[in-house]
Amino acid sequence: MSSTISRHDSNKTGALPYRTKAIYSFVLLVFLACFGTPLLAKVKDVGPLDLAPLQSTLTSAQAKHLVSRAGFGATQQEIASLVGKTPQQALQQFTAGGDNVPAPAFEHSGIFEPGLDPFPPSRPATTELAKRQGHALGIDVKPDGNRPLQPIVNQFFYWLRASRLETDRVSYWWANRMLTTQQPLREKAALFWHGHFATNEDKVRDYRKMVLQVETFQRLGLANFRDLLIAIAQDPAMLVFLDAGVNTKDAPNENFAREIMELFTMGVGEYGEEDVREAARAFTGWSVRGLEFYVDSDTHDAGEKSFLGERGDFDGIEIIDRILARPQTSRFIATKLYRYFVRDELVPAAEAQLGARLRAHNYDIGAYLQELLVSRDFYASAGEHIKSPVELVISTYKKMGLRQVPGVPDFNVVTGALGQRLLHPPTVAGWSQGRSWITPSLLFERGNFVLDVVSPDLNFVPPDRFPAYTPEVARVQERLRSGLAVSQATKPTGMMGGDMAQANALADRDEAFNTRLGSMRGWQMAIERVRPIPRDFAPMALAKEVQAQALTTPMEVVLYLERRFFEVPLQPRDREEMAAFLAEALGTTDVAAAQSYAEEPLRRLLHAMLSRPEYQLG
Amino acid sequence: MMGSTSMALLGPRVWAAPAVHSEKPPILVVLELSGGNDGLNTVVPHGDDNYYRLRPTLGIRPEKLLALDEHFGFNPGLQGIQKLWQDNNLALVHGCGYDDPTFSHFNAMAYWHTGAPHQGNEYGWLGRVADQMVGQRREDMLINIGSSQSLAVKSAVHTPVVFDDPMRFQRKGPASAFTPPAAPTLVTSNRDFLLAIDASAKASSARIRDAWSSYQARADYGVVPMDLPKVAACINAGLPTQLYHVAVRNNAFDTHVQQAALHRRLLSYVSDAVYAFVQDLKAMGEDQRVVIMLHSEFGRRPKENANLGTDHGSANLMLVAGTPIQGGHYGKTPSLEGLGEGDNLSHTTDFRRVYGTLVSDWLGVPAATVLGGDHRSLGFIA
Repeated sequence: MSSTISRHDSNKTGALPYRTKAIYSFVLLVFLACFGTPLLAKVKDVGPLDLAPLQSTLTSAQAKHLVSRAGFGATQQEIASLVGKTPQQALQQFTAGGDNVPAPAFEHSGIFEPGLDPFPPSRPATTELAKRQGHALGIDVKPDGNRPLQPIVNQFFYWLRASRLETDRVSYWWANRMLTTQQPLREKAALFWHGHFATNEDKVRDYRKMVLQVETFQRLGLANFRDLLIAIAQDPAMLVFLDAGVNTKDAPNENFAREIMELFTMGVGEYGEEDVREAARAFTGWSVRGLEFYVDSDTHDAGEKSFLGERGDFDGIEIIDRILARPQTSRFIATKLYRYFVRDELVPAAEAQLGARLRAHNYDIGAYLQELLVSRDFYASAGEHIKSPVELVISTYKKMGLRQVPGVPDFNVVTGALGQRLLHPPTVAGWSQGRSWITPSLLFERGNFVLDVVSPDLNFVPPDRFPAYTPEVARVQERLRSGLAVSQATKPTGMMGGDMAQANALADRDEAFNTRLGSMRGWQMAIERVRPIPRDFAPMALAKEVQAQALTTPMEVVLYLERRFFEVPLQPRDREEMAAFLAEALGTTDVAAAQSYAEEPLRRLLHAMLSRPEYQLG
Repeated sequence: MMGSTSMALLGPRVWAAPAVHSEKPPILVVLELSGGNDGLNTVVPHGDDNYYRLRPTLGIRPEKLLALDEHFGFNPGLQGIQKLWQDNNLALVHGCGYDDPTFSHFNAMAYWHTGAPHQGNEYGWLGRVADQMVGQRREDMLINIGSSQSLAVKSAVHTPVVFDDPMRFQRKGPASAFTPPAAPTLVTSNRDFLLAIDASAKASSARIRDAWSSYQARADYGVVPMDLPKVAACINAGLPTQLYHVAVRNNAFDTHVQQAALHRRLLSYVSDAVYAFVQDLKAMGEDQRVVIMLHSEFGRRPKENANLGTDHGSANLMLVAGTPIQGGHYGKTPSLEGLGEGDNLSHTTDFRRVYGTLVSDWLGVPAATVLGGDHRSLGFIA
């Protein structure tokens, strides 16, 4: 007997309409505006950070700082509309603006089929299952004839490829929301939580679960941390990713219990190995069926546990509440949020101060962030932050005035090359922030990204229409078409002499099916059924914009682009060099006279400027 | 313990003349098996009944193993590694670990990266070796292939060359026409940091790209080459770099569930790549000066879990391969009988002895200038 409970009461919180949330935020803002100053003045005395609200109205530079941190940048016009507002008014206008039209939901291609869930952990596990029961993944074993398991292997690869390609569409959907949302803080926080509760589709192998998780981050990313934590502990993608689905009372699996304490709440050193084991017992039976969380009472260990110095027959929620009661948890979360939104470096005393603030807000993430984002400390941190790849890409598009993430260059390839491919974080610890975004090679990639936008690559091959990560199968297909038998056509290309690597030699041993053939068919089926990503280039009209600004000299153009794109000033020497570069490309220092052919030189200038190290800061 | 495998603990070696030659300096390549490789199912103690008792389903039967000796056998995925063993070019160092081990991937890896458990050092052990070798900032001292920089190569003096795809390691387009900024002498702000990286990138990228485009692999690196062909390309091009760092991506060895097929496959990728790397070096006549060390942040628990996988463990096997290696067993195998705390293996060899052997006997840098703890030589450099 197993009992099914619904996805906990976090669903109810999540079902709160945005309107309620907006009213709540508004009340809070009014409260802060009226009483915040005396209340927060005290805060100054208990820690090194000056968290009192900024008293003056915003300058243009301050407005630029706000939009860069609380969102993904803004156009000149949006920034101008924030100048002269109080920090509270500006934050309210920028983050809770718009007419509350719900952001568009993800449009599914319709690739899922019954029988694909639960998806076996590997190709060998799939074929073993098929041999045992005569079918797998919703496909029957052929009763007779050559390669009786081939259709099942095809289906296995179909879903691997299709789920991955569809996940790339999910990233595009999310990126477009970041670019166009009227509530950028919500998306910025969702991106934070994606890095915090990092889950990778490579292991989850089901884009549907990834969509659900992103939606949870969008819905609860500014809500109460307890609701978010419980929702994630019961999130299908997370349950699969950390093997929680196979955590049973006879075989407690520690993966989830360890990471929830180490990475999601407290950090190492705050608990012992015994606590990990006992917490794993409390989470036993937490499982997922399709897209639904449930507790399997047969495999849940209801016995007494000893956790963080307390004894009781705790279940998972009670473990979570004991974790939340620890001051270290508020400290850990508050500090990580601060590092993401404000600055990387902070002294230990500041950690205690921030933890106390999050506790004072009863773990209300939105309220805590509001306090940070109007503070003097926040406004003193301008230009210190190294932009993450996703911030860099989205904010560049935003500042260019784009309304849609271009299809060329491919958003996923670009952010992947820069080190932050959405829905594919490197490990459960997410992405390291700050200086670890930058290596010599990655700094070049950042400039190359801008080049690919201002001058799209004519050799571009859409990675969703080509077997991009196993190009070998395209050669297999070629050889099959040339008339070679399957066994010949699927041999690896090249390296026919000498020692063949073991993995290559072994790949096709089983005559019941051929893996490379399955991979090829899987690609065909996946590409056929996953909707293509639109491949528009970025529309740009720099010459017209420069004309509209009535700029006359190359230096004025450089200063204009600097104002529009940079949070950190360029060196005078660099400005002069760039102005000279533009003058040479235009063949004149009279910018207006060169208007008819200025587009290409201006794009080259923009590429050069945005390749500067300073552009990586915000 | 099983006497048959009497460990080749040769005792303190006479301080060998370090293998430093001014023209062809020795090279160390570190390959990190991230996620926690299951050492017990890598080199399997089939002569120990306790192994099969602890691993009733995951234990690999003797007849499935690749021959090693009367006590141990190789995982069937390790054909290439087995050949290195047969060529006497593989050191198996047993029971590597440190006191009071952590079971966190990230802390454990940081301990291995710094060679300083429980200390929080700012610089990596390879970075410190580089600082000892050359005290003045120099390009190409450390090459780290990967999508982000490893703590292992973080240096007080040098900026490591970090790249993933050599052909993408270039600034495209006309921006290169601009004067590169001068590298700041002192890096404090993030802006200084970016300017320093920019200067270093300009200096190293062309060399790496040239190395890659003039290189042709002369061995089959298999399905996942572990970035070793890129290392081979740099060596082939005669770069002066002596320290390389590569890693298996995505914590792949974290095999909590359904481990057997996956682990064998991962090992075959590693084994194919390492064996091919050595063959490739032989073909280019450089194998005499290259040693490759393999490690994880921890081993896995001896007792299998009920999901046909294994959980985070402690002491583990390390492998050191290459023509300069005196093959054999080093270190004492940890007992499977009386397991240590939390049913884990108690370490028998401080992992810094492996580092120390490489630092002093191979690279010719006094180990004490780089490492704390027990870093006495194990003597596996032939």
